[in-house]
Amino acid sequence: MVLTLVIAPLLLVALAGVLQLGALRVAVARVRAAADLATLVAVNDQDDAELSRSGSLRLSADAAEVAREYFARELELSSSLLDGGADAIAAAADVFAYPSAPAYDTRTGARYERPTVRIAAQVPVRTPVFGALVLRPVTTIEVLSVSSPR
Amino acid sequence: MKGVTAAVVLAALVLWPSAALARDPFSDDGRPVSPEPERDPDPAPLIAPPPGIYYVTETYVADVVTSSGPVTTYATTTVHESTGTYARALDTVGTGASSVFDGSAFNGRRALGDGRAVAGTYYENYVLSAGGFVPVSVVFFQDDAEIARLLRATPAPPPQMTPPSTPAATTRSFVPACCAAERPVATTAPSRTPTPAKLIRPGLSLLPASAPLASLEVLRGRAVSIYPRAFVEGREVPVRSWAVIAGDTGEALTTAGAGSVPFRTWWRRLAPPDAAYEVAFRIEVDTPETGPRWVDATMAVVVRSPALED
Repeated sequence: MVLTLVIAPLLLVALAGVLQLGALRVAVARVRAAADLATLVAVNDQDDAELSRSGSLRLSADAAEVAREYFARELELSSSLLDGGADAIAAAADVFAYPSAPAYDTRTGARYERPTVRIAAQVPVRTPVFGALVLRPVTTIEVLSVSSPR
Repeated sequence: MKGVTAAVVLAALVLWPSAALARDPFSDDGRPVSPEPERDPDPAPLIAPPPGIYYVTETYVADVVTSSGPVTTYATTTVHESTGTYARALDTVGTGASSVFDGSAFNGRRALGDGRAVAGTYYENYVLSAGGFVPVSVVFFQDDAEIARLLRATPAPPPQMTPPSTPAATTRSFVPACCAAERPVATTAPSRTPTPAKLIRPGLSLLPASAPLASLEVLRGRAVSIYPRAFVEGREVPVRSWAVIAGDTGEALTTAGAGSVPFRTWWRRLAPPDAAYEVAFRIEVDTPETGPRWVDATMAVVVRSPALED
């Protein structure tokens, strides 16, 4: 009896922690999917005038805005997991479009051989169980997504 | 003594072996058969062409008329390539001779300065379909020449029409139409000598008035319109018709059309890595300054798809 009373809280804490970790992994997957989808959509936004002139793919001038818009739209679907508004998170994200190639990413140092859209964002996700366990109640997910036509 | 007996028995057993009368459990299996290598079905069964039809390795490009001094030569330019078609010689006609195939060739048959039709050979093109060899077009390969008389000494007699030729006529490489004693002299004033054919530059563009392109990058699934165009001495001339003669046309609804209609398509599949779809067009131009001419244009199409970087 005494042993049960001693062990039960520990089991409950462990169970809650495991569940919170699982929920966090789900949140990470959804945030990454949102960033990936946003960059893919933005790469589809091509400059038709440049294509007619040179026959080469070149990102449209508003490709970065398109990526940010779709990032916000996708995050909105997971708003219950976020610690903040989707629009605010997307607005704070580092979204950059490299219309022509080759180009160098000053943030990551990568060299892009094709017109590229890159999203680097920090997405705060609620982790209330961790907060109750004397950990941080908000966990920040860093996501990086890069897309180009290949 | 026992040892000697045992040694003798052992030696007898070793020296006189005999097959054991035992049942062979595998005797009913027959001879082991080596597995026959499976052969892939022949993707394109060989169908021998009928006599007279051969595989085309020299493709018609354009009729060419060149003048060198008083000699005007009517020739046909070809390109050494195979478009997957077959051909058969229909009729070889001489200068001025009529043929039952006159008017059936898509490139027509020119006339000399005196109005007589040029010599050459009619060929019929075939494509190999499931039902066999299907005729698709007739082309005339002109092969003739004439000498323009620089000084009009005497008026030329009226041209004499020769009877229709037979399909088995011989091919000529150069026929001076002026020098046969029994034939009228084909005299043309220098001003009537056909001028050399003007060079027609083909072009392919994405807009009716945009710059011609030699290569094109498109996104997979993105529809594009390609306008076949033609230029003579820097000026654009109207295109009468066009046709895609080679290459992967993607999901095109049609591979031929009038000059005002673009080639519309989109590609579902990507080309192999570091490769492109080479699409070849045959463009027909028929203007007063060029006459009916055909030129070919190619475009390398690279199909790309948005992808995530690692």
